[in-house]
Amino acid sequence: MDVGVGLLAIGAGLAVGLAALATGWAQARIGSAAAGALTEKPEMFGTMLIMLALPETLVILGFAVAAMIIILLAPA
Amino acid sequence: MLPMAKVEIIATKDKLDPTLGTLHRLGVVQIEDVRRRGGPLVLPRMILDPATLAQREEIGLLVARLESLLALLPAQPLPTNAADSYKEASASPTQEHVAGAKKILAGIGARAQELAVRRDELEAERAALPRYQATIRKVMPLAAELADLQGYETVALLIERRYSSVLDLIRQELVESLGDQFELNAADVDEETTAAVLVFPKEQSAKVSALLGRENVSRVRLPKELAQVSFKDALAAIGVRMAAIPAELEGIRARLEDLAVEWYARLALARAVLRDRLQELEVTGRLGATRYTFVLVGWLPRRNLDGLRAALGREVGAQAMVNEIKVDKKEMEQAPVVLSNPAPAQPFEFLVKLLALPKYGALDPTPLLALFMPLFFGMILGDIAYGALALLIAVVLLRRFPTGALHSLAQVMIYCGIWAVIFGVLFGEFLGSFGRQTFHIKPLWIERGGDTLTTLLVFAIAVGGMHVVLGLVLGIWEAIHRRSGKELVERIGKFVAMAAIFLLAGVLSRQLPREFLTPGIAGLILGILLLSAPMGWVGIILGPIEALGMVGNILSYLRLAAIGLSSVYLAEVANRLQGMSANIVVGVLIAGLLHALNLALGLVSPTIQSLRLHYVEFFTKFYESGGEAFKPFKQTGL
Repeated sequence: MDVGVGLLAIGAGLAVGLAALATGWAQARIGSAAAGALTEKPEMFGTMLIMLALPETLVILGFAVAAMIIILLAPA
Repeated sequence: MLPMAKVEIIATKDKLDPTLGTLHRLGVVQIEDVRRRGGPLVLPRMILDPATLAQREEIGLLVARLESLLALLPAQPLPTNAADSYKEASASPTQEHVAGAKKILAGIGARAQELAVRRDELEAERAALPRYQATIRKVMPLAAELADLQGYETVALLIERRYSSVLDLIRQELVESLGDQFELNAADVDEETTAAVLVFPKEQSAKVSALLGRENVSRVRLPKELAQVSFKDALAAIGVRMAAIPAELEGIRARLEDLAVEWYARLALARAVLRDRLQELEVTGRLGATRYTFVLVGWLPRRNLDGLRAALGREVGAQAMVNEIKVDKKEMEQAPVVLSNPAPAQPFEFLVKLLALPKYGALDPTPLLALFMPLFFGMILGDIAYGALALLIAVVLLRRFPTGALHSLAQVMIYCGIWAVIFGVLFGEFLGSFGRQTFHIKPLWIERGGDTLTTLLVFAIAVGGMHVVLGLVLGIWEAIHRRSGKELVERIGKFVAMAAIFLLAGVLSRQLPREFLTPGIAGLILGILLLSAPMGWVGIILGPIEALGMVGNILSYLRLAAIGLSSVYLAEVANRLQGMSANIVVGVLIAGLLHALNLALGLVSPTIQSLRLHYVEFFTKFYESGGEAFKPFKQTGL
């Protein structure tokens, strides 16, 4: 197999993986704060869910980059 | 959303009780503080006379006692005519109920209390005795011969093994204060504990206690009745008690059950009627008063206005007047909110409430959520088998929970499951690729994964684009409806910028001719200018960020494809592992477990992601939240 293809695969993996790490890190911090807030104000569940889901855009964008690497750059 | 009306009810003070009773039974009016009446007239709050205040206090106390008594007794099913009795009792004078409740409390209050206290004591004893038993068993081998010594006291100590060196310190201090008038034996009794038995003359008891206290060593303390006997006898006594307690508890339980069978329904009825009366007395704090009349201000659904007038006319008479208060636009926004949707959309109301209620008069997004949320769920999960299982789980939940949030969730899951099956047919998926390989299911549209990635991504972005544009159109409509010029300009700007971004994306991807480039750039600039304008100078920075944010909003819909693909690949892993395993049973087991995991993820993740797309990407374009839930003054019932 072409080395270039392997490097593209690594690139795509890194794009998703690093974005996922960043999302996880952000969600960990938001999640712990949200858990604390919810014990005081359970009615904020919806808002907290949004807060928690916001960083997921990072990994989705990582996925978009990975998909572009695979679709646009990989040899046919 | 139900149209609301603000009303004031004016009646003479002698009609206060029947008016409040009627309103309480009807349960359609949210009573406001009279200070929030609006208009130039400021009324003083109603003050109850001392006798009524005393009655309120007495009823409050009775309700608390009845509630604690009901908590003590095992719950009983209410008789079939309980609702009729409640209705009948509600019409009787308060004094009768107060006297009745006192009689009930005098009848069983003390008996039930006594039984409950004894039951708690026995429960505590039953929990404590095994601990004493274990402790004595640990120290007994060291003290068996010493316990019966006359004139000597025996103290048992249990110390964590890692701190057992403290025993040397104790021994040293004992030598200093008692000389050789003591015996201290210690041994490790298990992996964590060192037991020690200290024997010393009774007259030295105070000194030893002080010493042990200084060293912060806790001695084994036995119940009073066991403290004076030898460990061996104590152990035997504990055995006897432990054998006797269950029968004693059973006796108490049976007696409480008998009391409950006889009294529970009466107690529940008395509590319900008195609680209603208490609520009626408490709400008077929100009313206004003149010398001879009282004034009650409240909100109610407009459709109930005629019913309220008729009921008050019937129950109270002509002395009670109901006037609708004219409310300006700003105050109308403060009206409480009652969502009113067609039956199929109603289960989705709780998902809107989970975020926040819409402001009164704003667009209720429930029907849109009911339309798109299951659709997005289906697009993500897209598997015939998983969808069918989701339907099955939903049906079980519907039967298990006939009301409440879980019932609504199950109804939502029904729609989601149906869409998952539909997309499963479009994608030709049944447990991932299992259906294609085994049953030769052909996709009606595309097979997810592999070469179709581009199609899937474009589809997800197209869906996102349409959803966000719909949000922007609704936002423009909302701004026109609310006659908010600033919001209208900003939202039109967003819309123009979005259209321009589509044009530019079309040109860049060579789907549109290059002639569209200039209108695209011009549109983008115009859009950014429009959406920045209402922000003032800050708009120079925030405007382009907002426009860029909308691109992010649309890209966010890529999750419809991405999360669906992850589910497809996990199903594929399960199917391949099953094929790779030498033992077919092990293979099927592993595949089953992975599919179960995939199903669990496939139920939770698409729900959260679909909700997120609505809450963050869609609602932010038009949704005006901040409504206050309608809380009518209503009887709590049995």
